[in-house]
Amino acid sequence: MSKIILVTLPSSDRTTRYISTWAQLAIHNLKSKNFKLITLEKERAVKIVFESMVHKHAPTFIFLNGHGGSDLVCGQNNEILIQEGKNELILKGTISYALSCSSAKVLGPSAITAGATSYIGYKEDFIFFISSEKRTKPQEDKTAEMFLAPANQIVVSLVKGHTVAEAIDMTKKYFLKSIRRFVSSEASSEEREYMRYLLWDMRNLVYHGNPASKI
Amino acid sequence: MENEQEIIDLVVARLQNLPSDKEISIGSSGEFTKEKLIEHVKEADEIGKKMIDIEMEFLRSLKEGVFYE
Repeated sequence: MSKIILVTLPSSDRTTRYISTWAQLAIHNLKSKNFKLITLEKERAVKIVFESMVHKHAPTFIFLNGHGGSDLVCGQNNEILIQEGKNELILKGTISYALSCSSAKVLGPSAITAGATSYIGYKEDFIFFISSEKRTKPQEDKTAEMFLAPANQIVVSLVKGHTVAEAIDMTKKYFLKSIRRFVSSEASSEEREYMRYLLWDMRNLVYHGNPASKI
Repeated sequence: MENEQEIIDLVVARLQNLPSDKEISIGSSGEFTKEKLIEHVKEADEIGKKMIDIEMEFLRSLKEGVFYE
């Protein structure tokens, strides 16, 4: 039986359009694997649809893209999908990755207490850069790619069968590889300025729950 | 206070090096140009303090040699 991956892809402002576009690029290759992929795009990335899909399909892995806060993750138009103290129980038995700001600070530990297997996310704001001339074509934005490609490595690693701890390690190495490339003399002065923000994202990526869990 | 102002000046100087044709996305706070970021740092508001945290962590990491391991 195929394992189910549920992905939320809101697109209600530039930031969500960017992270969802790059998430789609990352999950594009998953279709050929032994996974059934369910995507909740734009207006479907709302609480009522999200909860309904989780109850109906019991996904093994939930990939959340959207704005967030320390105790919550949002969907389309900043509608709250999951909030600590309200519905974190919905993550029971799942591995989740939130490409979202700060949710690993409060929601992550709370989800584990509620029975989630693992919760991966960021304990501070996830920061990335956008090229002004590419704002309507996020998939062509090489500057954003420097941040969003490593961030999506979590998904790639988990789908390839790695554990949560291994996926975190591989993702941090991806960030670090980019950072170290910018230290080199071949890097432009512009690229060197991005190092501090890549480091910030890398350092704030954490997991809660079982490090040996796999999807 | 002098030390605090020195840190703000340092972060402003760093931000001046950012390219003008790029914007930074800081979650639900939105996207900011270099000029806007500098204003936030000078005002030392929430966004400005975040930029200061990022710079301080970067400087600590340089000291730890994390980039050359």
